[in-house]
Amino acid sequence: MATINPDFGAELKKYGAFDFNACYNCGNCTAICSLSTEEDSFPREMVRFSVLGSTSDIKSSLKPWLCYYCGECSTHCPQVANPAELIMSLRRWLTAEYDWTKLSGVLYRSFAFTIIAFIIAALGVIGFGFAENFNMETIMLFGHKFEMIAIIAVFGIILLPNVIRMWWFIILKPKIKVPFIKYLTGIWELIVHMFTQKRALGCDDNQFRWFEHFILVIGYLALLFTTVALDWFSTGNLFIIILGYVESIIIFIVTVDFVLSRIKKNREISKFSMPSDWMFVIWLFLMGLTAFIVRLFIDTGIIKNNIWMYMFHLIILVQWALIIVPFGKWTHFLYRSFAMYFAKLKAA
Amino acid sequence: MNKKLGVYICHCGGNISDYVDVEQVKKAIESEEGVFLAKTTMFACSDSSQKEMVEDIKKNELDGIVVASCSPKLHLLTFRAVAERANINKYNYVHANIREQSSWAHSDDKTGATEKAVFLVKAAISKARYAESLEPIKIKSKKAVAVIGGGVAGMRAAIELSDMGCPVTLIEREPFVGGRVSQFDILFTTYETGKDLVTRLYNNLLARNNISVYTGAEVIENSGSIGDFKLTIKITPRYIMDRCNEGRLQKAIDACPVEVPDPFNFNITNRKAIYHNFPSEYPHKPVIDIENCTRCGECEKICESVDFSQKEEIIDINVGSVLMATGFDPYTPKDGEFGFNQINNVVTLPQFKRILALSNEPLIYNTRAIKHIAYIYCVGSRQVEGENKYCSRYCCTSVIHASIMAKKKFGNIFNYHFNRGIRTYGKQEVLYNESLKSGDVYLQSYEDDPPVVTQQGNKIVVTVNDILTGKKQMAVEADLVVLVTGMVPRADNSVGSLFKLPKGRDNFFNEIHMKLRPVETVIDGITISGACQGPKNILESSNSALSAATKSFSYVSKGELELEPIVAEIDKNQCTWCGACAEACPFDAIKKIKDGDKEIAMVNNSVCKGCGMCLPVCPTDVINLIAYSNREIESMIDALAGS
Ligand SMILES: Cc1cc2nc3c(=O)[nH]c(=O)nc-3n(C[C@H](O)[C@H](O)[C@H](O)COP(=O)(O)OP(=O)(O)OC[C@H]3O[C@@H](n4cnc5c(N)ncnc54)[C@H](O)[C@@H]3O)c2cc1C
Ligand code: SF4
Ligand code: SF4
Repeated sequence: MATINPDFGAELKKYGAFDFNACYNCGNCTAICSLSTEEDSFPREMVRFSVLGSTSDIKSSLKPWLCYYCGECSTHCPQVANPAELIMSLRRWLTAEYDWTKLSGVLYRSFAFTIIAFIIAALGVIGFGFAENFNMETIMLFGHKFEMIAIIAVFGIILLPNVIRMWWFIILKPKIKVPFIKYLTGIWELIVHMFTQKRALGCDDNQFRWFEHFILVIGYLALLFTTVALDWFSTGNLFIIILGYVESIIIFIVTVDFVLSRIKKNREISKFSMPSDWMFVIWLFLMGLTAFIVRLFIDTGIIKNNIWMYMFHLIILVQWALIIVPFGKWTHFLYRSFAMYFAKLKAA
Repeated sequence: MNKKLGVYICHCGGNISDYVDVEQVKKAIESEEGVFLAKTTMFACSDSSQKEMVEDIKKNELDGIVVASCSPKLHLLTFRAVAERANINKYNYVHANIREQSSWAHSDDKTGATEKAVFLVKAAISKARYAESLEPIKIKSKKAVAVIGGGVAGMRAAIELSDMGCPVTLIEREPFVGGRVSQFDILFTTYETGKDLVTRLYNNLLARNNISVYTGAEVIENSGSIGDFKLTIKITPRYIMDRCNEGRLQKAIDACPVEVPDPFNFNITNRKAIYHNFPSEYPHKPVIDIENCTRCGECEKICESVDFSQKEEIIDINVGSVLMATGFDPYTPKDGEFGFNQINNVVTLPQFKRILALSNEPLIYNTRAIKHIAYIYCVGSRQVEGENKYCSRYCCTSVIHASIMAKKKFGNIFNYHFNRGIRTYGKQEVLYNESLKSGDVYLQSYEDDPPVVTQQGNKIVVTVNDILTGKKQMAVEADLVVLVTGMVPRADNSVGSLFKLPKGRDNFFNEIHMKLRPVETVIDGITISGACQGPKNILESSNSALSAATKSFSYVSKGELELEPIVAEIDKNQCTWCGACAEACPFDAIKKIKDGDKEIAMVNNSVCKGCGMCLPVCPTDVINLIAYSNREIESMIDALAGS
């Protein structure tokens, strides 16, 4: 027996959901959804759980991650209940639930807090530059080290425990028995989905967006690899230098298109944007752009007199790595892939 | 007399001729006695066929016609009109139904169907041979209508009749007019209060001098029939001459020691034996509930208008038509039905409406602060097992509206609707939408798995296996449970029996035909309107009141009525009054009368429907049914038997 929690609706609204209460359970959304199946039927069920405030049902469900937001359901909902946006906010809410630090939730719910966090990060970087007398060499060395440490720390302290929490909510708590061997055989699923997001291809009329997204993921991961492992900013290897340029241009182009579509609201997915959505694309865009310019300054030899450019890049990088990656929208990269992995485990 | 008859056999497109060989039927009957001409026709009802018939009759000086086609329910009047246009008496046209009774019934056996059609047409020809010319019965009709029941339906009808120039007597059983509507505060879809509506209607009544309003009045006897109803009305006095001086009345009420549950508030409060419903009830006079009054005289000491010497009055009125508008009762749940009368804070929707109207912030009932309200729908309606199979129509909308009102008036209220599918049809759907958007939770179940209300310590818990959540059991802790009760017929509907009004399977008064004759009853001259006919909201009640008013007016407007001459007639010389016929008559049309010093049976032509029930029970066989005489029927049987 579950007790109805009428306050949940108000809570969810802070994560961007609206009007989902208008749902009269016709099921059109589920019927139109090209990813919904008989075994994993959504989004109506999720709308229903949200209306009733059945948080335990939502927390133990993978369905919010199975949706790739083509928005067909919202287009066809006779009640304009915006099921797709509801599912989107459930993903935000789940992200906050998985996060043991609870900072995700605070950032999602409070824009003011987000701004403060960004300012603190920026001030930290500027303060560090000041302490180092804006010495280019030390600062760039630090920047490079920071990237490596941040990746390990964020993953080890925040993301890994959070994925374990997700596993607890989805597999352990509902007492689903999974043979150990499945954990191993399922890993391939995890990797494929992480790098391809191939499930999104199942969305009707979504092929181009999937392609853009795919290119962006690959471009982003490659740039990460190029800067961290291949040390793009310090290398003399022409191939690596050009590779870095190409990657940052790709990121730049795709994110510009994403930002434009959020402005034009010409796709179902870009109609409603929370601050977290804006931050995510804009910071990604700035990452590509500033990395590109920094390397350009290096190649043209003007970086020495324009250390501010690198400082700017570093601020963006720190904000990205310490706020957006561990607590923001970046995590969907992780949770989505793990959702597919857990789905495979559950099916076993 | 040897009649010249014309016979028309219809193809009905192919509806008949696909199975019945109409040409063969024509051949088979052509040489029957009296048949002057026989024709087949593609559509007998078409304009050109009708014209041809008229010409045939005139040219050949036919005495009668037989049309063999569809059911007479469809075209009886069409061909009667043909006869009249050709200047022959319309009762000289006889109908044979060879579609429903032959081609459609025997589509698997063409030969048999044709054979049967031949017999049916022959039988009709035989009847036509003996058919007599008849004239409609004309009776006087008193131009006045009695409206019984002074709710919205009754008042609306009375106003309409008055505007058409028809004197009206409005008879209301309660001491105040307005009916149920006066009990409800803010109404759905228009957001007026019941009081607003009643005030408007009542002022309209008063502004018309051809309406007499009687309150505390009941019809106790009826004799007569359409055009000439004689009603006896009993009027209970108010025991109050006029309004007491302002202020004194309240003192008199305060002084009254008697307290009884107040039916105006559906018994959630008490009232005194001297009372008024709300400060501006109509008529504008308080009343003493004499049944509960102990005659202690306390009020009399304070208010000079109290007058215990008033006597019950009996008056007789004569009207041409009666319009019924006696309304409904809300369903009363059985003890224990969803915890009713057993668990505190389980109330009905009408009670909830009163609680909302009477409460001020914050909402408290039975000392409990109300924040979470559970509504259980369809209580007493849509019963699969029980008697009330019907949907009460008003309740989904009413309860959703009331729940929205509760939120607006008291704030911080959470509503949970345990429904069986929402029926806020038509424009009322916007309320459902508004309610959904405001965050109300709707849970749904089927009749075989209803919600359960239990008391757990101090808590009231409602659980349901919600079909919208895969039958998952959901629970709500409620401060108040509202049973959304439907409409049932008035507990005291004896006035219906007085007029022998038939009731439907649902026990509401029944119309003749749900779609085509929705306000007429089989008792000529009596129309029904409003919720006495079945669940209706105010709009629907007004609609039916207006059509009933028009129909009732049509009975009396000319001062005279033409009735079908097809009635039973009793040979008064041979009748010896045994009473068997009077007992057999379902319409109460036969009365015993004195004829000289002999007692005989007499048929009231304006009540008799020509059903023929009395004929076979007469031991002396002296009853004749006009247009269905023994001679006619016997000749038909002979024809059908093929002799
Ligand atoms: C809780 C509730 C809320 C509602 N809210 C709304 C709303 O918001 N909007 C809406 O459109 N509808 C609403 N309705 C429906 C509305 O009440 C009915 O449509 C309306 O009352 C029907 O009017 P009526 O005149 O047919 O019957 P009634 O209102 O029942 O009036 C019948 C009258 O006849 C009198 N009477 C009965 N028997 C006799 C007799 N033998 N002799 C003389 N008089 C007699 C009665 O005393 C009464 O005055 C609601 C109903 C309920 C139960
Ligand atoms: S289409 Fe809209 S109204 Fe229908 S079930 Fe989905 S969300 Fe609800
Ligand atoms: S109107 Fe609604 S509550 Fe009333 S009987 Fe019909 S379905 Fe049930």
